[in-house]
Amino acid sequence: MKLSAVLWALLTGAVLLFLLAPVAVLIFSAFDDGKFFRFPPRGLSLRWFGAALESPEYRSALINSTIIACVSTAISVTAGLMAATGLSRGGLKSRALVELLLLAPLTLPLVVWAIALLQIYARLGISGTFGGLVLAHAVITLPLSVRILLATLAGIDPQMEEAARSLGARPLRAFLRTTFPLALPGVLTAAVFSFLVSFNDVVVTTFIAGARWMTFPVRMYSQLRGQGVDPITLAIGAMIVALILAAVIAGELKFKWSRRL
Amino acid sequence: MLAAKSARGLVAPAVILTAGVFLAPFLLLLAMSLWSQPPGSLMLDVTPTGENYRRITTDAYYMGGLARTIWLSLATTAICAVLSLPLAWWIVRRAGRFRGLILAVVLIPMVCGALLPTLGIVNLIGPLGVLNGTLKSLGLIERSWKLLGTQAGILIGLVHAFLPLMVLPLVASMDRLPRDAEGAAMSLGARRRAVWTRIILPLCAPGLLAGSALVFCATLTAFVTPLILGQGKIPTFATMAYQQASLVLDWPFASALAVVMLAILAAIGALGWAVRQALPGAAR
Repeated sequence: MKLSAVLWALLTGAVLLFLLAPVAVLIFSAFDDGKFFRFPPRGLSLRWFGAALESPEYRSALINSTIIACVSTAISVTAGLMAATGLSRGGLKSRALVELLLLAPLTLPLVVWAIALLQIYARLGISGTFGGLVLAHAVITLPLSVRILLATLAGIDPQMEEAARSLGARPLRAFLRTTFPLALPGVLTAAVFSFLVSFNDVVVTTFIAGARWMTFPVRMYSQLRGQGVDPITLAIGAMIVALILAAVIAGELKFKWSRRL
Repeated sequence: MLAAKSARGLVAPAVILTAGVFLAPFLLLLAMSLWSQPPGSLMLDVTPTGENYRRITTDAYYMGGLARTIWLSLATTAICAVLSLPLAWWIVRRAGRFRGLILAVVLIPMVCGALLPTLGIVNLIGPLGVLNGTLKSLGLIERSWKLLGTQAGILIGLVHAFLPLMVLPLVASMDRLPRDAEGAAMSLGARRRAVWTRIILPLCAPGLLAGSALVFCATLTAFVTPLILGQGKIPTFATMAYQQASLVLDWPFASALAVVMLAILAAIGALGWAVRQALPGAAR
């Protein structure tokens, strides 16, 4: 019994280590001084972080990614909050069907969709444009927002908003003063996950990104396929991953993110 | 309660976005997969033809790729299941106040996207990477263990990327298990092994099934991980479709490859649904 408990903990620890290892290696290897990472490293330095901050092409790709992620997150959370409100407070007869439709992008394969989208965008002439990218990113992040916000609103008593209405508040004001503050942790969670999905997406974006609106993951992906690992991408990747890790741990401890997914 | 009219108005933008931008392209894809592109031209011939599908089913390259992809997906699903069962159980029963932190670790591959962890895996399993460097300095191996550019390397990446898809449904279904179930079975004389095979596994079967379907489908359509960790040497069905769409620019053929993937996923979905119905305690 005791031995099996130890074995069990060891096995679990090994799986957790496996989950952490790639990110840990990514962060560690960014500090390697050499042009090509090797283990054990010959020397450690911050030079690639410095080079990353000075590289104009990576900076513009990072800025593009951030802008696209911010705009599509705003669309995704707004449309998602509206839809979740309509679904959970509206008493629609077709609620189950609409939910199925709105959550479908989570289960349907994105590559297949992207191959179709590529051809439609080319026809419409919006391939590689800002509008085209934001539209695609808003669509792939929307189901996440809807799912998180549906769960959030399910835990909020609608009677408060009704009380505010009965005391004379207009619908929007009643919503903003009662339900919205209570839903704020859920809205924040939806926004962070939408942002992360959009910012990190390569599966869809690699098909529709152009030279003008190149995102960071797509640039890194073509670099990896062509010339192998570039130490500058390691440094930027390490910074992004460290930020994500901090955000996820904080979000999990504060908002119980894993339960909202 | 909202009036039905304003409820419809609130739902409308999301429905229009999802139906118009997400679902409609799938229908167009079916049509586009029947088009053709004469060699050496970028003009499309829109007379419907089954030529693309004939090419996929008769060319050993594509059928071989399909077989390899299905094998990789099955292997990834099996490995994820084996690794997730003890982890999920430990999270539910033993983690206690560390539960949140451990779930955050489990979420890492999901929130970091497909690319950044893959980059870490390249430096982990590469010929000069952490794994080979450690084994060499310990004197366990003399020459590097070749993982990059092999199916084993791809499997490592796929298991890492999709493990959360198995762990999270399992945790959800184990959370619903009454804590006394194992105690009751053991007080009636069941051994640990019997508790697992006769109590825990059957009751967690829905979660295991959901996780397996998610992992299998995700693996079948993954192209970033196989392309980078396979270094382009191991074509899978999704990397072939990616190359046709993005590099060869034969879009009708890429569409046909995509439709084949979709058909396989639909078959898996139907199979999963049938198994779910056959499980004890299925939704009635």
